[in-house]
Amino acid sequence: MPSTQVPPLGGYATDPTAVRPPLDDAHIERVEVAGLHARLATLRDEGFTMLSDLGAVDYPERALRFDLVYHLLAIPVNADGVVRPKRVRVLCAAALDVPVPTVTDLWQSADWAEREIFDLFGIVFSGHPDLRRIQMPHEWEGYPLRKDYPVRGPARDRAPRPPFSLKSNVTAGTPPSGNTLQALQEEVKRVRGEAGA
Amino acid sequence: MTMSAPLTPDIVSHEGNSMVLSMGPQHPSTHGVLQLMLQIEGETVLTCDPEIGYLHTGIEKSAENLFWSQAQTVIERMDYLAPESNSLCYALAVERLLGITDDIPVRANRIRILIAELTRIASHCVQLGTHGIDLGAISVFFYCFDLRENILDLQEHAGGARMHPNYVRIGGVNGDLPQGFLDRLDDLIKKFPGRMRDLRGLLQANPIFQDRTIDVGILSREQALQWNCTGPVLRASGIAYDVRRAFPYCGYENYDFDIPVRQEGDAYARFLVRLDEMEESMRIIEQVRQHLNEPGPIMTTNTKVAAPPKETIALSMEALIHHFKIVSEGFRVPPGDVYQAVEGPRGELGFYIVSSGENKPYRVRTRPPSLYNLQALKGIAPGNFIADTVVMIGSLDPVFGEVDR
Repeated sequence: MPSTQVPPLGGYATDPTAVRPPLDDAHIERVEVAGLHARLATLRDEGFTMLSDLGAVDYPERALRFDLVYHLLAIPVNADGVVRPKRVRVLCAAALDVPVPTVTDLWQSADWAEREIFDLFGIVFSGHPDLRRIQMPHEWEGYPLRKDYPVRGPARDRAPRPPFSLKSNVTAGTPPSGNTLQALQEEVKRVRGEAGA
Repeated sequence: MTMSAPLTPDIVSHEGNSMVLSMGPQHPSTHGVLQLMLQIEGETVLTCDPEIGYLHTGIEKSAENLFWSQAQTVIERMDYLAPESNSLCYALAVERLLGITDDIPVRANRIRILIAELTRIASHCVQLGTHGIDLGAISVFFYCFDLRENILDLQEHAGGARMHPNYVRIGGVNGDLPQGFLDRLDDLIKKFPGRMRDLRGLLQANPIFQDRTIDVGILSREQALQWNCTGPVLRASGIAYDVRRAFPYCGYENYDFDIPVRQEGDAYARFLVRLDEMEESMRIIEQVRQHLNEPGPIMTTNTKVAAPPKETIALSMEALIHHFKIVSEGFRVPPGDVYQAVEGPRGELGFYIVSSGENKPYRVRTRPPSLYNLQALKGIAPGNFIADTVVMIGSLDPVFGEVDR
């Protein structure tokens, strides 16, 4: 069952340059992949010492399919000891097949964040020191947080259940399927035989 | 069940007397399911590579396929030691998207603060108790869990369940405080200072505890920023960043509380910051308590997003229709995106939510404080003893429901 979501009406879904008016405290800006690393480096030098979070959003309809969302946080300490923090959110549209430069050289904390995006969205970060799956098993196929990834896994390969019937459960009659003790024992033997072989 | 984790090339190819030790994922002191690939030489850790993901449950994916109000139920299960922090943060984010932040009644906000601070104390109790057990201090565990049990009883009384009451809802809270709740809260407030004295007496001046934690797992100010640590971990490294003060929500700006800060950055400093935080939380609770006798609405009157009170449903056709619509097809949220953060017990808990205008969220991205705090282990474990990594894990206080989501 594929995800039944429709992409947002207007805005990001069709136009990767769209910037919506902020609903929160952050200043929002958009950059292209080519200028991403330079812009983030500038922001870090301006005092955004923390990469607060790094997330991604999938818009399957768009040519530049993904949005990478960098949440930066500045926590400067004034002379009077008062902390006045600021947030900035940098959005960057990324294509499926073009690697995005890593920011692990700017903030070490980007390590796991980028690995998670690689794991769940399949976006490749060029220059990442250790890009491998982090949440899913290492041999997993597919990228679960993409919109075209099914919510449920494939149906397990199992013998169909017999229709429920109270009578067949109560009496000793053989149910219509092979769901008998004998069949079960044969199944156990088969599995053990395979395991031993 | 265990999967073979490929070692990073530099661990395998290292020359010399070192060996690789796999610690976990079923190790009792990893507080969940964490595997550490430790490259060690003798007793000293050379590199530390945490393997996470054993508890990955796809909560972010599930949330995309549930109604806005249903998603809150699974999101609450992320940080299972402080479920109401998750609920609160998610509710605040959705309220911002809906534009109803200012319509939340004052009493609802007070109850939210009360529940959030109780949750913080309960969560720190678990941390202190299990941290103590890791270091061989068994009795402190029972004192902590007794206090936590009192708080869970209060949660159950108010919300109906001990662990995941789902009490904070979009638009307010689910039902007013029940009769007798305030008396039990007063009992807890009265009991609390004595319990804190006990905890401090058992651990703070305990020479064994001090030996094991002082100067262990030092996280410098710069490292804390580089690794994106928040919460008690960051504040123990000398940075007074607290979301409640920096970006106030629910009316935290009206309460008088201090932000405990330490400069040392070691496990002992983190322990002290947590102890102080519990007392500050209780200060906030005492201030909230003074206003809880004032009655008032606890849910927004906007019946498009909040089901109307049960008693009106039998009398008003409109109320019945609203109730039916909200339960059967949810409500729609205007398109947009928002980042909302709250100060959870482990640090800045944030939600970046994108709405497509549908009755389900388009994307729910969590900023889990535990994930980033735990990642700092890669920076602080090398150079320490294996036994001290246990102290470091405990003092970073990860919750794996949240790390893996």
